[in-house]
Amino acid sequence: MQIKKVLNEKEIREIEEIIEKNYGCKINLRKYKIFLTREDKIWLVNKKLNFDIFRNIKRCYRIGIYFGKLKRNKKIKLSIEGALLVGKRAVKNIAILDDKEALRFMQGYDAKVYELLNCEINNFVLVKNNNDVIGVGILRDGYIENLVPKARRISF
Amino acid sequence: MVRDADKIFEVEQEWKSIRVNTIKIDREKLYERLCRNFEIREIPWYENGFFVKEGEISKTVEYYLGYYHIQEASSMLPPLAMQLEKNDNVLDLCAAPGSKTTQMAMMMENNGLIIANDVNIKRIRALAHNIQKSGVINCIITNYNGIHFWRTGYKANKILLDVPCTASGKIIKNKKIAEKWNFNRVIRMSKLQKKLIESAYKCLMEDGIIVYSTCSLEPEENEEVIDFAIRKFGMEAEEIKFKGIKTRKGIRRWNGKDYEGAEKAVRIWPQDNLTEGFFICRLRKC
Repeated sequence: MQIKKVLNEKEIREIEEIIEKNYGCKINLRKYKIFLTREDKIWLVNKKLNFDIFRNIKRCYRIGIYFGKLKRNKKIKLSIEGALLVGKRAVKNIAILDDKEALRFMQGYDAKVYELLNCEINNFVLVKNNNDVIGVGILRDGYIENLVPKARRISF
Repeated sequence: MVRDADKIFEVEQEWKSIRVNTIKIDREKLYERLCRNFEIREIPWYENGFFVKEGEISKTVEYYLGYYHIQEASSMLPPLAMQLEKNDNVLDLCAAPGSKTTQMAMMMENNGLIIANDVNIKRIRALAHNIQKSGVINCIITNYNGIHFWRTGYKANKILLDVPCTASGKIIKNKKIAEKWNFNRVIRMSKLQKKLIESAYKCLMEDGIIVYSTCSLEPEENEEVIDFAIRKFGMEAEEIKFKGIKTRKGIRRWNGKDYEGAEKAVRIWPQDNLTEGFFICRLRKC
């Protein structure tokens, strides 16, 4: 794993602002240490982690959890764990699915929307079913494009 | 000798087991949700463990979201023997696929540091998947051969050494294990396990502990390795007590050999609790 950049407070605040703009909520990412890897992937790790450890440990496969990917249009494609962090407080760009469509979504299929909360078309949306955030997708004309990674999909 | 050893060929396991991921959800909330669709009972020896009878526990929303991890009930014990504290520096030398690693992260409430190492890159992918799904942020995954890990110079105060083994304790789940059993493999594993415990010893801080565990029943893979560590490095075996599970002491004498530290080790036999067999021993660096 090649760390491109460990973000400072100002840069973390910029990530928080992108999230606030898209989902209408403030989240505190400053309680984590955040870094970018190639392709601008954002990773979270315990704030107390001292990166000096990598002077000796070279064969590092992964550090912490994948939060999301910073896109060129200044939006973030969140991972499921990223969506869980943001989803508790989000008030916009939320797509709600009924139980049947939620199951299809978790299987990796595109899904029909039951209800939309302040959504922009062709934008990333948090996908919810009942009170659970089940991931993110892109709102297309009448459906949600599925972004659940293959490894996380389940077969019912 | 173990008088009722033959019973391991007869017992069957009816209940699957899961561990609540308290990083993501409260135990009570998950219990309430799963009770709607499954018959559930508590695992007596671990508060965050449940037995689940029948049903597709890998096909629920809760599993998809990482609210619980499917984990053998007896394999929840080695992390309990670690006496974990929030700011520990932990090394999990043979970590994949990560059930115990994620359990330790949960017990440390995502604090401190866990180095989760494994030699096999395919198994590391499974480990990384489980760490991501569990929301573990205090973990670094490394890809070294455990035998040579000490060369990194990293020192931990607690090491979990859940070594590769012949897995004969899994016979309760898969009776074919008995057909494939091969003594040469046991000896090969025993040699590897001794190399791994040597490497773990070199990575251990003064007064630190190693929890050694296997899911094998053979003394060559268990008491013999502990005896090796005590004699060669002067380590001290410590007594471990688990509540709510029937355990037995380690085997002191086998094939004419006397094993040191065996009386302080713990054996979980499949016939005693209808779980997989396990061997656990805690060693301290003096």
